[in-house]
Amino acid sequence: MTFKNNKKFYSVWILLILVLAFLNGCGKKEKQTEHEIKSVKDLAGAVIGVQLGTTGDIYASDYEKEGAVIERFTKGADAAQALKQGKVDCIIIDQQPAKAITDKNSELSILDEEFKKEEYAICISKDKSKLKNQINEVIAQLKKDKTLNNIINNYIGDSTIGKFPYQSPKDVERNNGTLTIATNAAFEPYEYMEDGEIVGIDIDIAQAIADRLGMNLIVQNMEYDSIIGAVQSGKADVGVAGMSITEDRLRSIDFTEPYTTATQVIIVCKSGNLVETSILDSIKLNFLKDNRWKYLTDGLLMTLQISFFAVIIGIVLGFIIAVIRTACDMTGKGKILNFVCKTYLTIIRGTPAMVQLLIIYYVIFSSVDVNKLFTASIAFGLNSSAYIAEIVRSGIMSVDKGQFEAGRSIGFNYIQTMWNFILPQAFKNILPALGNEFIVLLKETAISGYIGIMDLTRGGDFIRSRTYDAFLPLIAVAIIYLIIVMFLTHIVSCIERRLRIDV
Amino acid sequence: MFNSENVLIQVDNLQKNFKNIKVLNGITTQIKKGEVLVILGPSGCGKSTFLRCLNLLEEPTVGSIFFNGDEITDINTDINKHRQKMMMVFQHFNLFPHLTILENLIAGPVKLLKKSKEEAKAKGIELLKRVGLEDKAMAYPNQLSGGQKQRVAICRALAMEPEVILFDEPTSALDPEMVGEVLEVMKSLANEGMTMICVTHEMGFARMIANRIIFLYEGVVAEEGTPEEVFDRPKNENLKAFLSKTLNPILCRT
Repeated sequence: MTFKNNKKFYSVWILLILVLAFLNGCGKKEKQTEHEIKSVKDLAGAVIGVQLGTTGDIYASDYEKEGAVIERFTKGADAAQALKQGKVDCIIIDQQPAKAITDKNSELSILDEEFKKEEYAICISKDKSKLKNQINEVIAQLKKDKTLNNIINNYIGDSTIGKFPYQSPKDVERNNGTLTIATNAAFEPYEYMEDGEIVGIDIDIAQAIADRLGMNLIVQNMEYDSIIGAVQSGKADVGVAGMSITEDRLRSIDFTEPYTTATQVIIVCKSGNLVETSILDSIKLNFLKDNRWKYLTDGLLMTLQISFFAVIIGIVLGFIIAVIRTACDMTGKGKILNFVCKTYLTIIRGTPAMVQLLIIYYVIFSSVDVNKLFTASIAFGLNSSAYIAEIVRSGIMSVDKGQFEAGRSIGFNYIQTMWNFILPQAFKNILPALGNEFIVLLKETAISGYIGIMDLTRGGDFIRSRTYDAFLPLIAVAIIYLIIVMFLTHIVSCIERRLRIDV
Repeated sequence: MFNSENVLIQVDNLQKNFKNIKVLNGITTQIKKGEVLVILGPSGCGKSTFLRCLNLLEEPTVGSIFFNGDEITDINTDINKHRQKMMMVFQHFNLFPHLTILENLIAGPVKLLKKSKEEAKAKGIELLKRVGLEDKAMAYPNQLSGGQKQRVAICRALAMEPEVILFDEPTSALDPEMVGEVLEVMKSLANEGMTMICVTHEMGFARMIANRIIFLYEGVVAEEGTPEEVFDRPKNENLKAFLSKTLNPILCRT
């Protein structure tokens, strides 16, 4: 197939996917559950959407005994999306984020009856009682001089929004190191993304605390359910994420004095109030407004960087392991090294890439402050190396044994024979499998969001959390992955053609 | 005895076991410079194993081998250095399929003998001319016939300027009409005084080029002598049976 034909072939596929996607988007949304919620009593037997690990989740779980089904989402926006599509009957979430959701989705509304009242506090490791006392003092000061009130009013309350932006005093001396906070920027108005920055009530409060303590503030964004782990392991000093004090949490972590009171409310979907937006408006909202397309381009860059470094680590390590393994098979020497390699392969291939990523970030590099890109590249590189090692080994074994003897008989040593004669032949045989491995690796990096990396998938997620539209951001992300994969496939087949020796 | 200038390879009590099977059962012999030694024997008698032990492609179980006075069976000897002077030509040619014919020829001289590429190429072309294949320099091995491949393999060995060439059944994998062209090249090498050790089934050829013939039977040297002694006046019963089968295959069957 010539390149020109290939192009045509690809464009047909893209077109087909786009058409399918549009048809799906235009299709009528049918309600899938029929349980109408009018008050807290109706929760029994309902399908309830919550944000994973929040207090809403904990309280809603009590209704499971009464026949309720709890759907746990990582973001409030995902839950809102599910509610709009009728996948859940209601959402239980904090009052302020609920307001943000209903403001942007006219078909959703908050029930007047409150679900639960709760207090938000900053979580901190049990070994850091000194820092905890310092923060408690600052919170008391902030309450006293109304700074805390102003910060909250700046985000909440129709007449006060935007009137009291918090600004650090100019003459702060930051000699006391850094204060790293863990948060989950998908919880408007406490913490959320705006123009690529994490902002919100909690962030301002954390800034105010850092200012008073003379520290530099570093904000780490991650999944809500990763925050406690990050604080425990020392990845972050404190967690500031609209977190309320519960007994379960107190078992593993300590809390400061609460800094605000929040209410859990129930969001429901008004019946027969679906507003259809045109596809053009949708594109404007999702990609053009606030330069949201930048989440995708920045994310793409990150995805490519991680994949690139991971591929290099994977190839180098994979080839080394493969050569050690075959050397042992052929000569019977290096049994210990071979055993080490075998164990490594068993462990890496026997556990999910995501678990490996989390272990490397939260366990192995827990006490060192390392670049996340570096961590992810190592994790995916190690993971890939195991698969590449076995691919390369099969390639080496596919080369005729006589080739090895020919090389050795001329006087080349083992490594020279491998490098000059065996690996070039093996490489040709395994190229399709290697290409496939790179494609898998590229797509696997989509889980790097779990350690708070803004990759392509996570970039799409952020747009989704701001616009409450699942369709366009997800399709855009899928198409970008698809295009890169097709490009990779094309390059691999070009190399393959060049290596093929025609008779 | 080893220090004698004429002895190139000295083999002492060479034994080789594969798992529990004894393949070579104590072989002692020596190969002099310029000698053409042909090894005969029924299949499974250990001919190829013996040859492959000489350059340690198979590691001997017992015994020692001296090459140019150095004991190559000693674990501290750098066998790679010695192999560079001791080429092997294989039954299945074992050319490198991803390299052109010329690249096959110059890989060793350039990377191991540190010759310049130009020098190695010039020498390679010269060798190819000698076997009548200079027009195939840029071809790949799978574009050649079996006979051509084996002639290239001999050139690859010669390119290293070896002191001895080990031939492991060089014509066994060839179509009958291609055997002649390879034997022709080997004959001319023998005439030039190249030391050669050859495992073959070509009886007529063996008789023509050999200075000495060793008949191996069940892992030991059953008979040894000049071609005339071995072919015309065989003493060993097994050798007699072997010769009658190979020289008169049809008669033997009836």
